[in-house]
Amino acid sequence: MSSMASYVGAPVVRRDAFEKATGTANYASDLFPDGFLWVSVLRSRYPHALIKGIDARRARSHPGVVAVLTHEDVPVNRFGVFAKDRPVLCDDKVRYIGDPVALVAAETREAALEAVKLIDVDYEPLPAVTDPIAALRADSPRVHESGNICRQTSLRFGDVEEAFARADIVVEGTYTTGTQIHAFLETEAGISYLDEKGRIVVVAGGQSPHRDRAEIAHALNVPAEQVRVITPYVGGAFGGKDDVTVQIHLALVTAKTGRPARLVLSREESMISGTKRHPAIIKMRTAASRDGRLLANEVEIIYDTGAYAALGPAVLDVAIENCNGPYRVSSARIDAYLVYTNNMVASAFRGFGAPQVMFAMERQVDRIARRIGIDPIELRMINAIRKGDIYVFGNKMEGSVGIYECLKVAMDHPIWRDRRKDGTLEYPWLRRGVGVAAGMKGYTIGALPDRGSVSVELKRDGSVVVGGSFTEIGQGVVESVAQLAAELLKVPVERVQVLFADTERSPDTSVTSASRQLFLAGNALRKAVVALTERVKDLVELETGGRPTSVTFTEKGVLVNSNEVMPLNELAERLELRGFGRMVIGTYEVPKVEPIAGTLEIPHLFFMFGVTMAEVIVNVLTGTVTVPRVVAVIDAGRVINPINFTGQIEGAVVQGLGYALIEEAKIVGGYLQTKDLSTYLIPSSKDAPTIEVIPVETFEEEGPFGAKGIGEVGILSVAPAIVNAVAEACGVEPTSIPLTPEKLYWLLKEGGLVDRLRGNEGRIG
Amino acid sequence: MIKPTTMSRRIEKEFRFFLNGKAMTVRAPPCHTLLEILRYELRMTGTKEGCARGDCGECTVLLNGEPVHSCLTVMTQVEGKNVTTIEGIDPEHRLVRSFVEAGAVQCGHCTPGLIISSYALLLKRPRPTEEEVKEAIRGNLCRCTGYSKIVKAVLSAAGV
Repeated sequence: MSSMASYVGAPVVRRDAFEKATGTANYASDLFPDGFLWVSVLRSRYPHALIKGIDARRARSHPGVVAVLTHEDVPVNRFGVFAKDRPVLCDDKVRYIGDPVALVAAETREAALEAVKLIDVDYEPLPAVTDPIAALRADSPRVHESGNICRQTSLRFGDVEEAFARADIVVEGTYTTGTQIHAFLETEAGISYLDEKGRIVVVAGGQSPHRDRAEIAHALNVPAEQVRVITPYVGGAFGGKDDVTVQIHLALVTAKTGRPARLVLSREESMISGTKRHPAIIKMRTAASRDGRLLANEVEIIYDTGAYAALGPAVLDVAIENCNGPYRVSSARIDAYLVYTNNMVASAFRGFGAPQVMFAMERQVDRIARRIGIDPIELRMINAIRKGDIYVFGNKMEGSVGIYECLKVAMDHPIWRDRRKDGTLEYPWLRRGVGVAAGMKGYTIGALPDRGSVSVELKRDGSVVVGGSFTEIGQGVVESVAQLAAELLKVPVERVQVLFADTERSPDTSVTSASRQLFLAGNALRKAVVALTERVKDLVELETGGRPTSVTFTEKGVLVNSNEVMPLNELAERLELRGFGRMVIGTYEVPKVEPIAGTLEIPHLFFMFGVTMAEVIVNVLTGTVTVPRVVAVIDAGRVINPINFTGQIEGAVVQGLGYALIEEAKIVGGYLQTKDLSTYLIPSSKDAPTIEVIPVETFEEEGPFGAKGIGEVGILSVAPAIVNAVAEACGVEPTSIPLTPEKLYWLLKEGGLVDRLRGNEGRIG
Repeated sequence: MIKPTTMSRRIEKEFRFFLNGKAMTVRAPPCHTLLEILRYELRMTGTKEGCARGDCGECTVLLNGEPVHSCLTVMTQVEGKNVTTIEGIDPEHRLVRSFVEAGAVQCGHCTPGLIISSYALLLKRPRPTEEEVKEAIRGNLCRCTGYSKIVKAVLSAAGV
């Protein structure tokens, strides 16, 4: 890279790709510490039952077994971020089939797996409640003593009654969305051991090493300093490793036995015990004027959080905040419920509560467009929010707002312009359609306190080490942070080493979720560079007696007062010699907003926006939908790395396609029927469409070099775009995802399309 | 039918095969899978485990040049054969380079298996079509990339 070129916006090849491609990169599941114990977990047999007793004598005497741990071995047996409602090992009762009851630690894998079956648990099965609406009734079985409402929020803004009274069009619908499973390719995994100082070290796949450390320390009732958490490369997370998974269990085994331990969940165990995307029931009544203005939205949101709260309370807030879409809706009435059931635990999943409501709202908007007879993109443009607008909750949209620009690009795109041109398809039973949907979601954690720190160390050879607790879950944040450091300090990116996700060595950059890490770490890095600049001034002042007026980083080193250039190796040496130290820490705090009454994190100050257009081919006789082409137009702020950017969006589009059409977690009476990847299908290379990603590079003034979050935005509007395309193709109005062939077939049959086709084309069927 | 029992009681047999060109002898129960031997006995962790039941393709290796799920291949099937794992692929191979450069690697957990499947494809079809690439890797699931960059990487390695 030439000295004038800039790293921001450059397609820099990520540093971890080579070691990952050659199989030399170490993930948590690849670690086998010397003398480790194999750990296996006994999980609940019932979705809901009392535990009358646990007899582990047979398991304890099994050859090779070193320890069997139960709730009696857990110092503080409740954990969870928003509510400490989740047992490390179940004591009084089990609340879902994945609930952990006991741990076996053994010398061999076979012994660990066998001994788990030898633990006798005396259960008294209880009636299970697995339907969130039933769970809201007074006579429902109670999942927790406090009742089944984990959280309830009601918000009123503007005069909804008046708006409905003067509306020309009212569209109403009840939408349901399915339980989506993260299905990351590396299951929840980790190892643990005692270090030379006797501290417990946990090396595990996760998203938030400092928060995981706090959860471990709380459960073990030890000071946080007694625990070290390291997060190596993670084989996918998508929110599914945002909560604690194996970490406390590992720490407990090592604390009790003094031995290293290894716990890697099997695929089936991961499917059963891991968190999920909240299944949702959303009722919406939306009012609009004849000229296409959205006037009011009446919304009821029910999210099934399963047996425990996990991150559900915040997920519900995100659902509420985004349920009106990126539009100037002038009034809203929202009633939202987060409900406990005996289903599997729901928590964070890319989009964090937004994709469900976006499906409902974007279906509503499309139906309004059809009622008015207006181009669906034009309708969205009429209502699109702009920077500086006051949103429906009374909050000012202060960050960059690129939804109007995205819609404009979408409107001019050939996939939209020519959507009704090439209508001829190979067979009469095929229908083609193009659909559109918009999406929005706040990034950072909104009105919740949100800060992060990053360290910058100058090495004596003139290279740079950047430290932060962001985790590399596949998104490429490590390379992006390195690029920002290279840009700020004007060093070649290869001279930037990144030390990430180790509570002992990297400062707390807080959670890697909410599409926040590039924004947080990037801004903290900027602060660190300011601190470094001040330190250079201190150094020069001490050495020369005069404080320099300007210090800038150049390719040759630090330029002091536009005359002296100090190479970085020399600067490092002089800083050390004069006792200043070669490391600085920068801390960035997201500008503080007051939460609106009754919420945790509404409003956000910063939002991502995007528009998805999808082309579908529907087979009317089978109900199958294929998606040959998707165009994603994304308000990405400034793109830091175009390869990583398009990679994030393409991946999110295909995950969204799975969510829309094929990913169906079948749960019967609290039991998961789809426990593997041949029954819970995620998209393969044959399902993936041709994807065009178009960045609309708005400039986010608060972001590092104008960047904003991109991790979740790609998935937000995929499902409604695909389903809107099906509606366009077939003239039916699906309200439920995943839109499986079976669901669509019956809708088409109901709509008369199947019979019409059979009638007209007598030879078919 | 021999079932896996505890270490102390299990029936073991000696298996000889070639691993990345080198003669190997391992003792294992005959029903142990090649994946278990690679990861748990030999600690060769380049071959990943995603499901251990043939659904995800992460553990793909070459058995006499054919891509197989090492999690579904028991040791009796390996006797006398050539096994190639990701460790046996030249790090300078054009497939590795094009995966890295095309951005086909995100979390990277599926990447070794994908490179093996693509390698097998290119042995048979040095200049495959896009459809042939998609077909060859349909059994290798990836949850991060959406497959676009993977397909591009394979085509670019083939010079297509």
